[in-house]
Amino acid sequence: MARDNYDEVYTRPVRRLVLAVVVLCLIALVFVWRIDNPRVERMRAAIIDRVVPNMEWAMAPVTGLARMADEFQSYARLFEQNQELRRELQQMRAWREAALQLEQENARLLDLNQVQLDPELTFVTGIVQADAGSPFRRSVLINVGARDGILDGWATMDGLGVVGRVAGVGERTARVLLLTDANSRIPVTLQPSGQQALLMGDNSQTPLLEFIEDAEDISAGDRIVTSGDGGLFPPGLLVGQVVMTTDRRMRARLAADMARLNFVRVMRSHPRTSLEGAGELIGPPWPPPDGFVQPPGVIPVQRPERPDLAQAETVEEDSP
Amino acid sequence: MNALTSPRHVWTYRVVFLGLCVAVIVYKLLPLGLHDTGLPGPDLLLAITLAWLLRQPAVVPVASILVVFLLADFLFQRPPGLWTLLVIVVSESLRRRRLTMTEFPFLVEWSAFAGAVFAMLILNRIVLWILMVDLDPLGLTLAHGIVTVAIYPLVVMVSKYLFGLRKIGPAEAEAL
Repeated sequence: MARDNYDEVYTRPVRRLVLAVVVLCLIALVFVWRIDNPRVERMRAAIIDRVVPNMEWAMAPVTGLARMADEFQSYARLFEQNQELRRELQQMRAWREAALQLEQENARLLDLNQVQLDPELTFVTGIVQADAGSPFRRSVLINVGARDGILDGWATMDGLGVVGRVAGVGERTARVLLLTDANSRIPVTLQPSGQQALLMGDNSQTPLLEFIEDAEDISAGDRIVTSGDGGLFPPGLLVGQVVMTTDRRMRARLAADMARLNFVRVMRSHPRTSLEGAGELIGPPWPPPDGFVQPPGVIPVQRPERPDLAQAETVEEDSP
Repeated sequence: MNALTSPRHVWTYRVVFLGLCVAVIVYKLLPLGLHDTGLPGPDLLLAITLAWLLRQPAVVPVASILVVFLLADFLFQRPPGLWTLLVIVVSESLRRRRLTMTEFPFLVEWSAFAGAVFAMLILNRIVLWILMVDLDPLGLTLAHGIVTVAIYPLVVMVSKYLFGLRKIGPAEAEAL
């Protein structure tokens, strides 16, 4: 067929050229991503922002159905569960009694101390929309974003414990990097012993606890809370419990129910005031006021010049 | 020009392919598998693309591959462009030598697919290593590849019996 051959003579080099251009563009994209990572990640956040909320109409019913199927499987163990629940209920009654007493006591003590809880720790609640879609990334996408005032780095909790932190904010969505992700590093405190540790995600359900000073002081079941070191998280948020693995390493069983993340709370945290500069010696005013009599045998030493102090003084003089 | 190579047929299947890929992406994004950390799921997108490409190459043009995989790269938190690049290169090389494969039994095709998957995973790892990006655990990557290879016959079966995607032989391809 003459015409086909004629076509082919022209289309094949064009096709090859287009292919080469596409390949070069992709290589360039990878390099740009590696060199100017924040810009490309912002682009990614924008793309996700555009695409994922549009899928919601499809995702919501499917997610709902799948969750129902998941729940339905548990009907098979209905009797066992019933027994278990009864037993737990019995235990919980005792706990409830203890909790009520503690609550009253706590209220009395707080009243005595006139303690005020940190009013800055408010939260925004978001719904989990999507997960990372990859077996190597542990993160979820929630439906609140820059529009709702979410900032990068804020802590995220479910009802009970820390889930992760915000890493990447779009206009309408934000990505929460879970504690189980291999890139997650959180400074924590182990409660009765007060030791500092680092909670490192390793893509498993139970993140590792590393950099513990005195591992002998710690026993399984110790509480893990955020330490607030580095100003990353507000201190004192519950993370989970220490578990000891068979190879004598310490891991954390998370308090948050990672398998059934549905609603998450993004904790608004504000940067704390930091101490700047070293402490100064507190001494008598300099130069000595008029009429100040030097003690015998004391020779006054000239203080070194301090520009910051001089500046502060001039400002004070200007203000009245 | 027969029924399998008519523009109407080709365009229908192109649309079906894109729809299928979007469905797979949406399924992967559903917040369901948050807790299973055992075996990583198969790369269904890759299996579908290569299976369809080996059956009827006209149905899977480069543009479709580019759009689908670039979108997946962005949505799945992968380095954007790298996996797309590998898929395009591999698909082009398979496209060129598919005619020699059509005469052989399915096992040859399957082993070619397995070779392609592992070559891509290894190349991907090497490039990421050169670029000094944090690498995923090697065991998980290999398991991912094995699962993807294992799912391939199933994908081919579904394509053949559910979507009616038949292999175009050399005789029919000549007419294209």
